[in-house]
Amino acid sequence: MSFIEYMLIALPKIWVGLQITFKISSICLLIGMVIGFPVALARVYGPKWLRWLVSAYVEIFRGTPVLVQLFLIYYGLPQFGITFSAFSSAYLAIGLNSGAYQSEYFRGAIQAIASGQMMAARSIGMTRLQAIRHIIIPQAFRFAIPSWSNEAVSMVKISSIVYLIAIPEMMYVAKMLISKYYNPMPTYILVGLVYLLVIGVLTLLLNEIERRTTIPGLETARRGS
Amino acid sequence: MPKPEKLIVKIENVHKAYGKEKVLRGISMDINESEVVVLVGPSGTGKSTLLRCINQLTVPDSGKVWVDGVELTNPKTDKDKARQHIGMVFQDFNLFNHLTTLDNIMLGLVHVLGMKKEEAYDKAMLELERVGLANKYGSYPGQLSGGQKQRVAIARSLAMEPIVMLFDEPTSALDPELIGEVLTVMKDLAEGGMTMICVTHEIGFAREVCSRIVFMEHGEIVEQGLPVKMLNNPDMQRTKDFLGKISVLD
Repeated sequence: MSFIEYMLIALPKIWVGLQITFKISSICLLIGMVIGFPVALARVYGPKWLRWLVSAYVEIFRGTPVLVQLFLIYYGLPQFGITFSAFSSAYLAIGLNSGAYQSEYFRGAIQAIASGQMMAARSIGMTRLQAIRHIIIPQAFRFAIPSWSNEAVSMVKISSIVYLIAIPEMMYVAKMLISKYYNPMPTYILVGLVYLLVIGVLTLLLNEIERRTTIPGLETARRGS
Repeated sequence: MPKPEKLIVKIENVHKAYGKEKVLRGISMDINESEVVVLVGPSGTGKSTLLRCINQLTVPDSGKVWVDGVELTNPKTDKDKARQHIGMVFQDFNLFNHLTTLDNIMLGLVHVLGMKKEEAYDKAMLELERVGLANKYGSYPGQLSGGQKQRVAIARSLAMEPIVMLFDEPTSALDPELIGEVLTVMKDLAEGGMTMICVTHEIGFAREVCSRIVFMEHGEIVEQGLPVKMLNNPDMQRTKDFLGKISVLD
């Protein structure tokens, strides 16, 4: 069987796996953002007890391998009577892990906003919450895009670990193909190329978002200073 | 007949320390309606801190501050509400970078004062015209010169219809050729009867426009008086030394 022939057999199967890869990555990224952004705000603006609490979350989830987190949730929690499906476990573990990382990207972005912005907002009578909503958040999201892109790209690849709890995403499909056709090299090359292609498209998309949300005049001002 | 003077800002024995560093050591001051007060003094003397104590962006350790009869140092006072009508202009402008000049001005009108958008738009355009920048309504702060930024910042404050304007070194971050346009706007404001407290080293402005110069050093008021007196014949040697030095620069 030539490589081309093999491709024609493998690609439809890989396509099915890719859809699951896409589903897991995007849901986990979203969960991570929904957790990460408030955590970042809490770490910058929250009261001391809250800062302490969310810092503990961030350090625990950054300080342990995501695989350990996944196994603890999928295999460990049932021993305490809490059972999650494979998919739910994946969303929970990878989402929480990504939330910890994303909170750090967002925190960096919030702290990159000059303190005068908050001061000016307060000086016209805005409450702290209004200032965060209208002044800090719109700027923080823009500043966070480059590092957040990094998280998105690595998420697509990290999601492959869920093949270890038998979710049939792209790596899982690859393993199945290999055991069926005994040709690891072409399979890995093929899957590698698909990842590369997907991430290439994703990167272009993220660059475009970054370009479109750039604040006119600010980019050159920042480069110049 | 001069109209009876109305007290706008009253500062009573205000102290502020950052750690061991005592920045303000018992400042008291009364400022009447339409007065233009210029605060001068060596850097690190607490002038900016004093301004921020007036609108409570910095909370004094002790002492009291009233603006328009409302005691801001009273914990029961809604400070956000009080700040709506205390304008502040900063050394580095602090325009909201992600908003056009028009939106910079409209934001407070809509979200703080609760104006309708159309009404806020008209008001914002009017304020931009007042500082001579109506044609820049769609520009972002990053596309403006320093002088233009500061004029927009002044317009943003004015739109809130302040009872007093606080200026914190409004021209210190500007290239020399841009200082004039900002001072002109400030001068127009003063002539229009705005109550103003300005931290500035622009002695020309002080001489021509202000009604009182207050000289501060080490967190205390050393001397205050009419500009003519303060600039030509102050009582204290320290005042003379300092004003002499910065007048040479003028």
